[in-house]
Parts: sequence; structure tokens; C-alpha cells
Amino acid sequence: MFAASFYIIVCSFRNRLWVRLRRLRQPRYLLGAIAGIAYFYFTVFARLRGGRTANPRLRGGGPSVPAPTTQAMLMAGGLQVAGLALLVLAALAWVFPAKSSLLEFTEPEMQFLFPAPVSRRALLVYRILRSQIGLLFAAAVSALFVPSANIAARLRFAASMWVLFVTIRLYFAGVTLARARLAGSTGAARRLAWAPLAVIVAALGIVGTALVRVFMTHRMDGINDVLAGLGTALGAGWPQLILLPFVALARPQLTAGLAPFLAALAGSASVMVAVTLWVLRSDAAFQDAAVASAERRAERKASGGSAPKARATGWTLALSGPAENVFLWKNAMQMLRHTSGLTLFRYVVPLVLAAAGLTTAMMSGDRGRGGAAAFCLMAIGIAGFAALLGPQIVRTDLRDDLRHLEVLKTWPLRPAAVIRGEMLWNGLLITGIVWIALICAAIFSAAAFPRLSMLWRLSLALTALLLAPALVFGQLTVHNATAVLFPAWVPLGNARPRGLDMMGQRLLMLAGVLITLAVFMLPGVIVGGALWFAFSRFIGAAVLVPGAAICLGIVAIEVLAITEALGPAYERLDLTGIERAE
Amino acid sequence: MAISVDHFGRTYATATGTFTAVDDLSFEVATGEIVGLIGPNGAGKTTTLRSLAGILRPSSGHVRIDTHDLVGDPLEAKRRLAFMPDEPHLFEYLTVEEHLRLVARLYTVDDFDGRARALLDELELTGKEKSLPGELSRGMRQKVVIACGLVRNATTLLFDEPLTGLDPIGIRRMRETIVARAKAGAAILLSSHLLHLVQEVCTRVIIMDRGKKIADGTFDELASRADLATAGSSLEQIFMRVTGHD
Repeated sequence: MFAASFYIIVCSFRNRLWVRLRRLRQPRYLLGAIAGIAYFYFTVFARLRGGRTANPRLRGGGPSVPAPTTQAMLMAGGLQVAGLALLVLAALAWVFPAKSSLLEFTEPEMQFLFPAPVSRRALLVYRILRSQIGLLFAAAVSALFVPSANIAARLRFAASMWVLFVTIRLYFAGVTLARARLAGSTGAARRLAWAPLAVIVAALGIVGTALVRVFMTHRMDGINDVLAGLGTALGAGWPQLILLPFVALARPQLTAGLAPFLAALAGSASVMVAVTLWVLRSDAAFQDAAVASAERRAERKASGGSAPKARATGWTLALSGPAENVFLWKNAMQMLRHTSGLTLFRYVVPLVLAAAGLTTAMMSGDRGRGGAAAFCLMAIGIAGFAALLGPQIVRTDLRDDLRHLEVLKTWPLRPAAVIRGEMLWNGLLITGIVWIALICAAIFSAAAFPRLSMLWRLSLALTALLLAPALVFGQLTVHNATAVLFPAWVPLGNARPRGLDMMGQRLLMLAGVLITLAVFMLPGVIVGGALWFAFSRFIGAAVLVPGAAICLGIVAIEVLAITEALGPAYERLDLTGIERAE
Repeated sequence: MAISVDHFGRTYATATGTFTAVDDLSFEVATGEIVGLIGPNGAGKTTTLRSLAGILRPSSGHVRIDTHDLVGDPLEAKRRLAFMPDEPHLFEYLTVEEHLRLVARLYTVDDFDGRARALLDELELTGKEKSLPGELSRGMRQKVVIACGLVRNATTLLFDEPLTGLDPIGIRRMRETIVARAKAGAAILLSSHLLHLVQEVCTRVIIMDRGKKIADGTFDELASRADLATAGSSLEQIFMRVTGHD
């Protein structure tokens, strides 16, 4: 089975590489590859080279040396913090019902390997081997970001990260298998399955108690105190013993010098071996878990993602009305039924982080204080994020519907109506979010911008409210025009093609969209600007509002004209000749 | 003529040049007629049907639906068409009922509720109105596509492998439905590899091979052709002879 495993892995890797190289004959992949390589070079290698010449300490070739206090702090509490984080991660693996990707067999793997005379353990080993390419790549990438110019230090870091990644991957697989056995048929099987969970819970209890005891009895006045407290709580007795395997996994990353590193790596590797043995001993539950996983995967594939459930929305499509409204309703149904708590989490977290970052920056710049000011700045951040990145992120329009093109093209509708209709739901939704955020910001603007007069704040708010739909629909027009004119550049549905060339393609697309958007907005901005220079001395900031209204009007005309002009291209649109990335 | 195909051709751009899928194809389908389009894999049947449905643009020639040119007057032509593809492409977030309602809105269907109810009964989809495609079997999804095609009064029906995924009862019902629609005055073009179905249901047969029409006529006309007279007494035997596989 080892030979067969290596054969599949090597052949698949070689053929994937060959396919990716061969597709470079097509200009879009070649351009993407050039852009991807350039991006990679300038963001990683050039930065490293610049850092090496700029930092004389790094030029010496040794590992980066933190300031003495930081180093002391890290050595005192850093290892314990890392060990504690890994313990919490290990506990969370039992709480969250995520399935290990190690058990995700592909359909061909199921078809060829499961009926073959191969033991379950061998299949598990095959999956472990198969996952190594991805893990090695992840470890190598993580080493690129180490603040050190020393290649040996980078290699050491990559090796330690590889051990950590493999252990985590295996541990998650072990948890998935153990979870499947929690309701085992015999008492002995159940006890065996519950044992690791009981150990983790007990470990958390002991460590948690030690932490609470220290933090309740000592006053913490800064990060140094916190790290020292962690060192006290976790550096002795049972907590130290419990965290031993977790600290062992984190130690190589924080160890400088070859000999200490090798000793630390040996400790880390022994934990990896222990976890591997635990997983291999769980192979009895392996096949059931793997089959269940493959079935879920097949179901997801058949339904184009997670299997949706029909939800009553109380919005029935009227049997007559403008064609655009059909798409408004259809896309609204799709989004409302597709959106789950997890999806919202995926979008809300970056939104809140971006807004919080902007708020912090603006508050520290303006020395703003107070909850109202923070709320206002946060709302501005959300509005800006939604207006600028919303149309890029939310793809419930022609970009998503290209996979249904064969159905759309049989409908007796004008192409311009189809394109406009496809943009309508996205545009209204994003504009709505931006408006709500802007209104919140306007209400609390006095606290955040006390130096601005009421007229200025009101004018700016109204201007932003008017410009928001222009910006949103302008971007959506560019994205949907791209889908019509360059469908090969648009990933179908939820597909996220991989590869350096695909990364480059995405970067080029983003640059193209931004440039086109700038051109799109230019006439409106020029007219608005002219209005400002002509009338601002008479009516002050209030002139911004008619300027924005004119800009919005011009963009609306442009959107109508462009969607009409795209009609012939939509009629010619044919996806059959497009070779998609794998 | 309900369907008029005049010197129709379709080429695809490939990495090495161009590939001609259909070359100089001409035929007509009258109202009430059921024409079977058969041929080996790669003969150009699906390309022809997809072009007739308005999905692909002809590279040459003309396609007219009830005298409306599909390129020059696409909206009027498409209003008269219903295309039932072999792969059921449905919107994964719309229920069965919402799919029918969507089609009714697009094609302006009178008495939607009554028609939809009758059709759901006819295709044994009653009880599945509120289901999403992901909750249906492949056969059920195929029935939804057919229901979407039949919920409106299309004068021209295009079927690409209409029986794929259907159970024996569904196959029988589907055959009856196709014949009933033709009797009601629809022009039907049907592509299938099930030659016994074609022989049983179709009033005329067009055989294609490598993008070209190589035979066209009723079963009796084909059977009496001089070069096919010795082929045998079934469409399958005639098909094998015409395509050079006997």
C-alpha cells in the first residue's frame, strides 16, 4: 500500500503541476502567473532582502534577537502561553463538531481504495501521507515570515512548524474518530472513547483552577505582570506536568541555536508520534467516519455547497412586473436561504475587525474619546468597508449565475434587463447597509468630530448617502461587465481555483476593477468638483450635496448605458469554449 | 413551420484551431409533428438543440421559431420555445413551486395556479412543492425541469434525453405527455439515444453523424430507401447501417 500511496501522490502532484504549467499557454494564466510571481517576490523576498540590508543585526546571520525585556518575558511566560493555547485548541476540537479533513476521501479514492484489499490502517497512513504536501507547503510559507535573514533559522522554523501542523491535523482526525465511538456498542469501547475527553476536561480543570488562583490573588498592572503570573501558575506542579506535551510542541519555534533546537524538536516529534499511534489505534471507527465524510462531501458537491433548506420568506414573486424584479426576488431568495450563522460570521468578523482598526486609528489620530465617538467612527468604518469591498465580496449576481447561463439565455428577456436585474439585489442590500451605518455615524458625529460645524457634518453625511449607491452600483456594473466580457476570469459559483497564476489573476482583476471604477466615477467627480469651486464660497459645505447628487445621476446614466451596451456581448456569451482551472 | 433550420452551422474555438460541431444543417418541424434527432456521441445533436434554444449563437445559417429569427428577433422566438435539457439545471435556493412561478412570470402564464396544480399532479410532484432541488432525487429534478417547460403554452418543445433519470412509471407518463402535447398542436424536437422510444413516439427521424444530417424521413420512408432496405426492420438496424456500424 505504501508503494501505491506514493504512486498516487507523486503522479497526482506531477500531473497537477503539469496541468498548471500547460495552462500557461493561455494568456490569462500566463499574465496571472507573472502577476502572482511579482506579488510574491515584492511582498516576501524583496522585503526580506530590504530588511537584511537595513538591519545590521540581521546581517550577521544569526536569528533575530528580541529586546532583552521582551526576550525575558517570552522565555518566562511565552512557552506557557503557547502551551495553554494548544491545550485550549485541543479542548475546542471536542466542542466544535468540525470533521477532520484527514478523513475526507475523494470519490475516486472511495471507489478505488475502499474495495481494494487494503487494511483500514493502511488507508489512514495513505491519507496522512497525502496530506504532507499541503502541510510542508504551509510550513515553508510560515518560515518565510519569520523575522530572520538566516536560512538555517528559517529551515529550523519550517521543520518545527511542520511537526506542529502534522500533530494538529492528526489530533483532529483522532478526535473525529473518538467522537464517532462515544456511543459505542460495548462498555469497554465507550470507556476507551471517553477516556481522552475525560483527560482533556480534567487537564483544563486543573490548569484553569491554577490560573484563577494566581490571577485572583495577584494584581496585574501590565503585560509583564500577566506573563509573570502565567509563569507562576503554569510553571510548576500539576499544571506544568499537564502542559508538558503542549509546551513541547511550541518549544522548537522559540528556541535559538542548533543543539537546543534539536533537543526541543525531539520532544516535539515524540508528541507527534504519540498522537499518530493514538490515531492509528482508532482505525476501527475509521472506515465508517470516512464513508460518512465522503457521502457528505458528495451531497455538498451535488447541491453546489452546503445542502440548503427551504425557509419561508413571506415574499412571493408577483406574476407580472418589470423583468429586473424577477432577478431581485430570485437573488434575494438565494441569499436569504443560503445565509447561515456561519456565513454571517465569515463576513461580520472582518467587517468588525476593519471597523475596529479604523476606529482605533481615527480615535488615536483625533484624540477622540467616549462611547459615542467610538460608535460613530465604527459606523464610518463599516460604511467604508461595505461600500468599497461589499460588491467584491457579495457575488449573488451574474458572477454567480454564470453557471445557470444556459437557463438564463433561454428566457425571453432583454440582455440589459438581465444584467441590471442581476445587480439589483446586491446593490440594494449593500447600499442599505452603508446607509444604516452612515445614519448611525451622522447621529453620533458631534461627539467624534466636535470641531466640525453642524452644516459640515450634515452636508458630509448627505453627500456620503448620495455617493454610496453610485459607488456600489458602479462597482457592481464593472464586476458584471467583466463576467459578460471576460467570463473566463470569473470563478464559477463557489469555486476557488488554486495556484500562483490564479492568485495573480485575482490581483489583476482587482486592479482592473479599481481602475475601471475610477474612470467610471471620474465624470461625476469632475462635475461635482466644478460645482464646489464655483459655489462653495457662497453656500459653503452645502454645495457638496448637489455635487454628489449630480455625480449619482451621471453614474446612473453610465450604468444604464453600459448595461444596454453589454447586450450584444451577453447574446454572444458562451462558456463552452472556456477551459476552467482545476 | 414551427421550427425552420436553414443551413445552420456551429463551430467552436479550440486550443488548436476551430472545431465544427454542426455543418450546414437544414430541416423543418411542423406543428403537431414529433421529430426524433438521433446520432452517435459527438454527432452534434446537443449543439443543435442548444442553438435552437437560444443558448448558443449559430456560427452560420438561420434558425426560426414560428417565423421569428432566433438571432434577429430573439425575444419573440424564445417566448414560443420550451427547452428541456438532459441535465436538470435548477436554482438551488428556489422551491419547486417557486420555479414554476418564476417561469410563469417570465412567460406571462394565465391561470398559473390551476395549471401548476394540474402539472404537479401529472408529473407526480404533488407534495414536493415546497422542496428545494437539493432535497429531490435526480429523476424528480428532471420532472421539475419538464414541468417548467410545460407550465406555459409553448408552441415548440425541445427535449434533450427527456427520460434520463425517470423511473418506469415516469417514462411511461413522459411518453404520453409528449404525444399529448403534439396532438394539442406543439412542434416537438426530441433527441435521445433510446431508439425504441424514438421509433415509438416520433413521426419523423433525423439522423446526424459528425455534424451533418445523413438521413431524414419517417420510419417507413427510411426503411424503404434503396440503400437501407436490407438493413432490417427496426430503427436501431437502420441507424447502424446509416452510421456505418453494422
